[in-house]
Amino acid sequence: MALIETKDIIKDYDMGKVKVRALNGINISIEKGEFVAIMGPSGSGKSTLMHIIGCLDAPTEGNYILDNLKVSQLHKSELAAIRNKEVGFVFQTFNLLPHLNVLKNVELPLMYAGMSSKARIKQAKDILDSVGLSDRLKHKPSELSGGQRQRVAIARAIVNNPAILLADEPTGNLDTQAGSDILSIFSELHAKGHTIIIVTHDMAVANRANRIIKIIDGKIVDGNIAA
Amino acid sequence: MAISLRESVEIGLADIWTRKVRTAVTVVGIILGVMSIMVVLAIVNGMNKSTLQWMEERGGLNKIDVHRNWEMDRKDWSLASFSLSELKLIRSLIPEAAAFTPEISDRSTGITKGELYFQTSVSGVFPDMTIVDEWNISEGRFINYFDINNSNNVIVLGSKAATELFSNHNPIGEYVYMQGQALKVIGIMQEKYLKMQGGWGGENALEYMNRRAFIPLTTMLHKISPNQTIDELSIKASSPEKALKLKTKLENILLNLKQGKKLFEVSSIKEQMDQMKQNSLMFTVIFVLIAVISLLVGGIVIMNIMLASIQERTREIGVRLAIGARRIDIFIQFMVQTILITTLGGVIGIVLGYAILNMVGTYLSMELVASLSMIYAALAVSVGVGLVFGIMPAVRASNLDPVNALRNE
Ligand SMILES: Nc1ncnc2c1ncn2[C@@H]1O[C@H](COP(=O)(O)OP(=O)(O)OP(=O)(O)O)[C@@H](O)[C@H]1O
Ligand SMILES: [Mg+2]
Repeated sequence: MALIETKDIIKDYDMGKVKVRALNGINISIEKGEFVAIMGPSGSGKSTLMHIIGCLDAPTEGNYILDNLKVSQLHKSELAAIRNKEVGFVFQTFNLLPHLNVLKNVELPLMYAGMSSKARIKQAKDILDSVGLSDRLKHKPSELSGGQRQRVAIARAIVNNPAILLADEPTGNLDTQAGSDILSIFSELHAKGHTIIIVTHDMAVANRANRIIKIIDGKIVDGNIAA
Repeated sequence: MAISLRESVEIGLADIWTRKVRTAVTVVGIILGVMSIMVVLAIVNGMNKSTLQWMEERGGLNKIDVHRNWEMDRKDWSLASFSLSELKLIRSLIPEAAAFTPEISDRSTGITKGELYFQTSVSGVFPDMTIVDEWNISEGRFINYFDINNSNNVIVLGSKAATELFSNHNPIGEYVYMQGQALKVIGIMQEKYLKMQGGWGGENALEYMNRRAFIPLTTMLHKISPNQTIDELSIKASSPEKALKLKTKLENILLNLKQGKKLFEVSSIKEQMDQMKQNSLMFTVIFVLIAVISLLVGGIVIMNIMLASIQERTREIGVRLAIGARRIDIFIQFMVQTILITTLGGVIGIVLGYAILNMVGTYLSMELVASLSMIYAALAVSVGVGLVFGIMPAVRASNLDPVNALRNE
């Protein structure tokens, strides 16, 4: 069985009188170690799907099976553990905690994993070194460029060595150079065996992936078969 | 795999540090509340302590005092005293009284011994004084009726008086002088001790009693201080309840004795004590109310500020949830933060409270007693306020939906 399997996933947002159907019967299957790009127009449901894959949100209907686990049957604390250890999230707007320095931001997932302070400082430093930021440990996010911030966010996402890395328009706020630096990191991680799913509007970005899934109006229109 | 309390405290302290001004505003109510708790407890402690001291000085709840009525007619002044035969009559009318003594004090003469002069208050009393005041001798003997009947030249010294006059020597059998009369020291009173409150160290609040000395009433009347009259009596009933009855009876006896004129005031310690207790209770209730209200207001202020803070930090909470924080972690984070803030307020309140107590204490020369248990109480209360008023914001924070929280601008 694939690492990520969704079965007829429907996601409705209840807006009082009207229901917004963000996802309308999504069936996808992603194998371990794939590098997948998700593309589609604005409002087509890409972020919604990413949230469900990342166990941040639950579908209204349908099933999501992650690594042979039925996610809908998991307890909230088990979902938290999955978000902590199995999935890393990278957002378009970085989402670093502004009051914490770079090192502390990257330490956070390890802290919630219950690691001791000493061990997690070492692990966070190693990861920051691998994204080329070992000279910025004590900087606040506001003291960094956009590309650097996104590298901190990636470091935070992978510091617990998750199997899956989810990135929702990670280069959307970056210039071409910074964007391509970030993409190189994703390629490296993919080469190391991480499963990577990336949402993008940029064809050049999508071309780095092995497979492109296209979504329109909450439905998959192309690319649901492994390449 | 919850995050440890230490982590939560670290996060909380860091948050407090980044939001200094907000924390300062938040904490004002708690500071005021804790300060008023400190003041209340100090006043209550102080009142208990001074009541205790007052009781000690006066010789317990069974006691009844008779003294001049200061509101009597000027022209009756000369009538307001007792002769020795009147004393006998009064004593015979109240056989149920456990003890009975008049008292005349000479505060001006002082005692001499050779070159030494010791300024003190010397009282002429009956042998019953030791029972009435519940104050016994530690050495030698006290005045007896033989001394009274013969106006013997004997004296019993307070412990301080003894050491001042005789330093290390045994005074018993030695002589001291008053008004040219040689008085033989026959006994030493037990030392009275009551620790002074709080900030003033280990001084003895009853030291002045140890400076006193006693001679037979008749010796005082006939040889030392002939101009004085007997106008003070102390009587001991067999129980506090009987003291109240005895008081009424005595009032009637004295009215009859002095042609129906109210020349004397009769007061019972028990009665005064009850009055004092009632006053102090009222006082305590008022201050406790003030403290409770300010803590309540402080708690509500903190709750609102925490709610606003959580609103503002929704996205942060979303991020934490997205990277693996459990709901309990978020709950604890905000709980700990609220408690840290209230505890900080508590500590500041305690420090300010102490400062105020010292200032007010010296200014009003009031009995304010600060103790370590008060600090614990104040700390417990501030932690408690944090616990109670922190729950709602922490629950709200931990119940945020991760995706909605992340979308929050
Ligand atoms: N919390 C919400 N409440 C109501 N509707 C929502 C909510 N979140 C998303 N939607 C709706 O669901 C649909 C899909 O939104 P989603 O964010 O997944 O789109 P997207 O493909 O990521 O778009 P974009 O490329 O602009 O980021 C949209 O129509 C959006 O308005
Ligand atoms: Mg989106």
